[in-house]
Amino acid sequence: MYIGILGAWVAVFLTLSILSYLYKDNVFYKLSEHIFVGVSAAHWATIAFWNQVQPNLFGRLWPQAEVAALEGFNKFWYGIYHVLHVLFEKVFPEETINGVLYRGIGDQPQNLSYLIAFILGVFMLFRLIPKIGWLSRWSLAYVIGMAAGLRLYGYMSSDVIGQIHATMLPLWTGNLGESINNIILIVGVLTGLFYFFFSVEHKGALKIVSRIGIYFLMVYFGASFGFAVMGRISLLIGRFNDLIEYSGKQYGFATPILLLIMVAVLILSGRKEKKNKEAEA
Amino acid sequence: MGKFTNFLEKLDSLDRRVIFLIIGLVVLIPLLIPLGLPIETTNLTEDAFYAIEDLPANAKVLLSFEYGPSSKPEIHPMAVSVLRHLFSKGNEVVIMCLWPDGLFMANEALELVAHDEFKLEYGVDYVNLGYRPGNEAVIKGITKSFEANFSVDSRGIPISQIPIMQDVQTARDVDFIFSFSAGYPGAIEWVLYAGDPLQVPVSSGNSSIQVNQLLPYVKSGQMKGVIAGMPGAAEYETLLIQKVEGKEGLLVNKAHALLPNFKENRDATKFMDAQSIAHLVIVLFIILGNISYFVKRKKQQKY
Repeated sequence: MYIGILGAWVAVFLTLSILSYLYKDNVFYKLSEHIFVGVSAAHWATIAFWNQVQPNLFGRLWPQAEVAALEGFNKFWYGIYHVLHVLFEKVFPEETINGVLYRGIGDQPQNLSYLIAFILGVFMLFRLIPKIGWLSRWSLAYVIGMAAGLRLYGYMSSDVIGQIHATMLPLWTGNLGESINNIILIVGVLTGLFYFFFSVEHKGALKIVSRIGIYFLMVYFGASFGFAVMGRISLLIGRFNDLIEYSGKQYGFATPILLLIMVAVLILSGRKEKKNKEAEA
Repeated sequence: MGKFTNFLEKLDSLDRRVIFLIIGLVVLIPLLIPLGLPIETTNLTEDAFYAIEDLPANAKVLLSFEYGPSSKPEIHPMAVSVLRHLFSKGNEVVIMCLWPDGLFMANEALELVAHDEFKLEYGVDYVNLGYRPGNEAVIKGITKSFEANFSVDSRGIPISQIPIMQDVQTARDVDFIFSFSAGYPGAIEWVLYAGDPLQVPVSSGNSSIQVNQLLPYVKSGQMKGVIAGMPGAAEYETLLIQKVEGKEGLLVNKAHALLPNFKENRDATKFMDAQSIAHLVIVLFIILGNISYFVKRKKQQKY
């Protein structure tokens, strides 16, 4: 109950602080901006660790195994796990089930090739140590190479081939409306592409083609701007809806109280600023 | 006439804070005093709705949550409506998230629809696999194996022990993919790395700002419709209520009993009055701004 009310007050304070920037840059805005950046980074790191690194990386290097049954290399390998367990108990758990001691995480099959990913991940952290920071480039090289290969394949098959295929349309389909749509689409694609073709000077008839291309692009930008405005208004509606909800008695009149306090502080700080400027002058 | 011309000239130098205040008021007033403006459905939303509607009762659907609190007002109502639609038909739902915040959005939507309304069983009727970092690499990964990417679900249960996942080894085993997307990674990545290569139908509910980028995929048939921003969400709510009210298509027994809930809790429809009025005022500002510009230019040319 009290946590809910406290949450509402925090939400209202942060919302009003961010909105106060519309009036002018101020201490409330700066405070909430810094809180947002800090909390977002911590939130992302925590979620990524507990959802990916712990179960999917450590879980594959050390899947749960009965300690008594370990032998050879695995006995040594799970010995390292035990040391890690002593240091970081929550991340590397051990449990006793029916008197039998188990070490490890989850029930995935063991896959030691994940050690490569683990080492590259550690290299990435070396950026924090300037002397060996160059090692992080190896990890970055892997990430860039993998992402480039993956994207090239996706864009080639779906964006380039898929979209070219979708543009190969009949100019006359037997249906007037559909035919007009197809003609507009084909003309738009060709003239739009031509606008970005710089190997010949755009003059005479080519200038007209290029100009038609610009008009199509302008329509696209106009539509994008319209959608962007729509999206921003939707977000404002969401925040206002929360402010309205939290203005009630059950939330201790959070919105009106905080709004009044913030307006008063902004007015007083504005006056003080004005006086200081006058004194300096 | 002279006074009006003076007024138009002054508009050019109007303090931007006055415009912010007016926009604030036109958003706030319809939220406090709803007008109940009608919602007309469009082809884009209908295509997405009927793509889901045409799925058989035993179909498994993969929902991916790629949005957070910042885009919640636009996309969350879509997530609630699509979940209601799928559960109304008896479809099974596998959820995953490519954004960390998506996990919380998914849990909130499931708490309302799966738990409170439909009272479904976790792991049998639906599952939330949680968030995995890696963007399109995760999508590419699940085209080969879910278990390799999600060893455990969002509750820490190994996915080998989750009944609904027994028949879902890869993304190829789902009948439909739906992405609730507010940016990258999102709907486009689902088309590029899962929909097209596996030939699994994909649709999406998006923030308004993304819609223009997705229309080519809809036109080419690579995407089955799009729920476009808040208006799209309101249209989907309307279509779902029309379906349940008219008892059309597949419907589980519970669905009709939940109709009052569907009608009562439809945020996008509730918000559309404010959205429409705000758009009207913005259009008015653009017109006045242009007139003001031309009046001023004409006056400058005179002298």
